[in-house]
Amino acid sequence: MMNNILKVGDQELGSRLFLGTGKFSSTQAMIEAVKASGTELVTVALRRFNRNQAEDDLYGPLSELKNVRLMPNTSGAMNTKEAVRAAMLGRELSKSPFIKLEIHPNPHHLLPDAIETYEAAIELVKQGFLVLPYIPADPVLAKRLEDVGCAAVMPLGAAIGTGKGLSTANMIKIIIRDANVPVVVDAGLRAPSEAACAMEMGCDAVLVNSAIAAADNPAAMGAAFKTGVEAGRMAYNAGLMPTSEVAVPSSPLTSFLSTND
Amino acid sequence: MKLTVNGEPHEHQGSGNVDNLLNELGANQAHTALMINGSVVPSDAWKTTALHENDEVEMLVFVGGG
Repeated sequence: MMNNILKVGDQELGSRLFLGTGKFSSTQAMIEAVKASGTELVTVALRRFNRNQAEDDLYGPLSELKNVRLMPNTSGAMNTKEAVRAAMLGRELSKSPFIKLEIHPNPHHLLPDAIETYEAAIELVKQGFLVLPYIPADPVLAKRLEDVGCAAVMPLGAAIGTGKGLSTANMIKIIIRDANVPVVVDAGLRAPSEAACAMEMGCDAVLVNSAIAAADNPAAMGAAFKTGVEAGRMAYNAGLMPTSEVAVPSSPLTSFLSTND
Repeated sequence: MKLTVNGEPHEHQGSGNVDNLLNELGANQAHTALMINGSVVPSDAWKTTALHENDEVEMLVFVGGG
């Protein structure tokens, strides 16, 4: 398929669907959804070790999956310093250059702190990470993050976990038009049709968590998102027809049915 | 030796290195990332990293997250 390989920095990914691993009812449900989705990049969070909750440790189950790379996130970081620290810790375990940089200090809306994110991105790029920052759908910020060496930008479609879809579509279109790094819609998607829509717009990938984890059947929804992302990408590659303000007939309108009697 | 491990007081009984502390706490070393007083300590340095009285140790594992 044309342009199906996604390059993020020097890394190549065969799937344009990234998956989050939070909120699943069980590790087994998460693993099945990851497999069904065909994803090659999953996010994970760091939490304090607790020997009474050993079943929450995802390192073992995820490391058994072939062809899936880990992208630790910096969730919980309130500022640049904490995000850099979280990233360094994450890399110790992931053995992967990917880091999802997220700094969202307000638990009510979980919207990204653009200033701290920008500062942290500069530091993490220096430290050799492939930085994928979760950001507001702000074309100026996206460009600035590209300029300091981020490997991709990840504007939000809507606030995390809200399922309100591509509410920032117009801004994301501007980001896509100007970007020289992959644009990944992260957060807000609820339906595979929205993922398809993002891909048709020219997004390079989408990151989905809640929509799959909170579905009645997460594995089936993972497969549905896989299909949605692939359809959207194929449509983008195929080139959508232009829109028109007036009707344009698709059948001949010659009036051979009319008579003069 | 008195330590703070993941925000809780912990009386370390062992030899005072990181490797030993992880075993004492029953952590799977391959699944654990570690920080002492705010600095990340890579796993290849655990055998040789000495703990000190009142050190603040954070032990982290991967869990689900988006």
